[in-house]
Amino acid sequence: MEQPVQTETWKARSLEELIRILHQIFAEDKVSVEEVQTLMESYESNPEEWLQYAKFDQYRYTRNLVDNGNGKFNLMILCWGEGHGSSIHDHTDSHCFMKILQGNLKETLFEWPEKKGNGEMTKKSERVLRENQCAYINDSIGLHRVENISHTEPAVSLHLYSPPFNSCNTFDQRTGHKHKVTMTFYSQFGERTVC
Amino acid sequence: LPAGLSQWFPALEVLDVSGTGLTEMGTELLSLPCLHTLLAKNNRLGGPGSLPKGLGQAPLARSLRVLNLSGNRFSEVPPVLLQLRGLRSLSLGGNRLQGIPPDIQELHSLEFLYLGGNFITAIPPELAKLPSLRYLVLCDNKIQSIPPQLAQLHSLRSLSLHNNLLTYLPREILNLVHLDELSLRGNPLVVRFVRDLTYNPPSLQELAGRTVKTRNIPYTPSDLPESLVRYLSLASNCPNPKCGGVYFDSCVRQIKFVDFCGKYRLPLMHYLCSPECSSPFSSASQSSTSQSESDSEDEASVAAHRMQKVLLG
Repeated sequence: MEQPVQTETWKARSLEELIRILHQIFAEDKVSVEEVQTLMESYESNPEEWLQYAKFDQYRYTRNLVDNGNGKFNLMILCWGEGHGSSIHDHTDSHCFMKILQGNLKETLFEWPEKKGNGEMTKKSERVLRENQCAYINDSIGLHRVENISHTEPAVSLHLYSPPFNSCNTFDQRTGHKHKVTMTFYSQFGERTVC
Repeated sequence: LPAGLSQWFPALEVLDVSGTGLTEMGTELLSLPCLHTLLAKNNRLGGPGSLPKGLGQAPLARSLRVLNLSGNRFSEVPPVLLQLRGLRSLSLGGNRLQGIPPDIQELHSLEFLYLGGNFITAIPPELAKLPSLRYLVLCDNKIQSIPPQLAQLHSLRSLSLHNNLLTYLPREILNLVHLDELSLRGNPLVVRFVRDLTYNPPSLQELAGRTVKTRNIPYTPSDLPESLVRYLSLASNCPNPKCGGVYFDSCVRQIKFVDFCGKYRLPLMHYLCSPECSSPFSSASQSSTSQSESDSEDEASVAAHRMQKVLLG
């Protein structure tokens, strides 16, 4: 993804249409971050369209694959129970778009730790993302932690990663030490993955 | 709740009255024999009459499995709630709870307990008497320490403690065999090695008691005053495997760091019978400032095997 090639404003009227337009956009050699973000935001969340992918787990957040974008991107739905959160993580040189489908998610941005980090990681900023908002991050922007801070409402988010990746680093906030982890899918295309 | 609810819907199994501004749930609940799920989050419950008095005698007491009262105004767990013997899942997240009643142990079928987002300062050891508890959420509270008895929660799969006031954990936490998830971020956990050498020298009674125990000096209840027999039964074993000694009241608090899966170092509180016990693999306590104590390697391998994911973040 380099400079914007087209600045068309898409409007996705359904999840199916969103996926279709995404395939179209990613078929090109150059894709614009702004274009994708605008497209994702334009889709007005309709639970009927994504409920089949929204499988919650009692103990932690889940990743549910929706579409594998012909190898160009992964589109997935994440389900966060009350109090569920992620560790601080990077995005393995990929682009990450995160749109809220239901509830709210708090995103806390962190600076990359120093080479031989041995101190508390530096918080850059934090914000609460509301329904239908779409955030964007990549490794040059920084690291983040995403969490559902509500004690009463579950949250659902739609994520697009390009190129797709299945491992990343998690970071210990107190020391900056990192650890590589492999990510798995709780379900794929609406079917629970048994591992 | 509307009057006549149980007459209109006698077979009601799931009732969701969330977000309706309820200030109390009255006697209508008592005549719903099939009700297994009651969701009443985001209301104005919390005052004295919030739950009906006869709850413990109603069919509900045995049939209710899931109760969600999150987002209300409870400042204490209503005692009548503890009579719901069949309860499997209880949520009181986002209320104004200041503590957890010891009688929580009455809910012996409880598997899921969500108490995040309250003002809880301490955890009663009785919480550990819940044999089926799998998921315990205590995040976003004001908890300063975890009772070591919590390690008796053998069924615990997930423990959420983030955003509290913990500086260390009891070493017994390593005994939670089935724990897959543990969140500790947002606690002022001690990072550097801290040795608390506040050591009150033992009393003569303590020294005598230690000798009796470690030398296995035989005694019968008729040999000693009852109070001393009881005292002798309270001996704790020094966790230093090389020591084999016991202590009663006089012990050293020490924080040891244990690696989980080679990833994170957690400060665990030890109680040792004397400062000399701090470095079991070395004869003197001179080398105790090193952070790679060999005994913590044993613990680390045990911990790595048992605890798969630590979300210190």
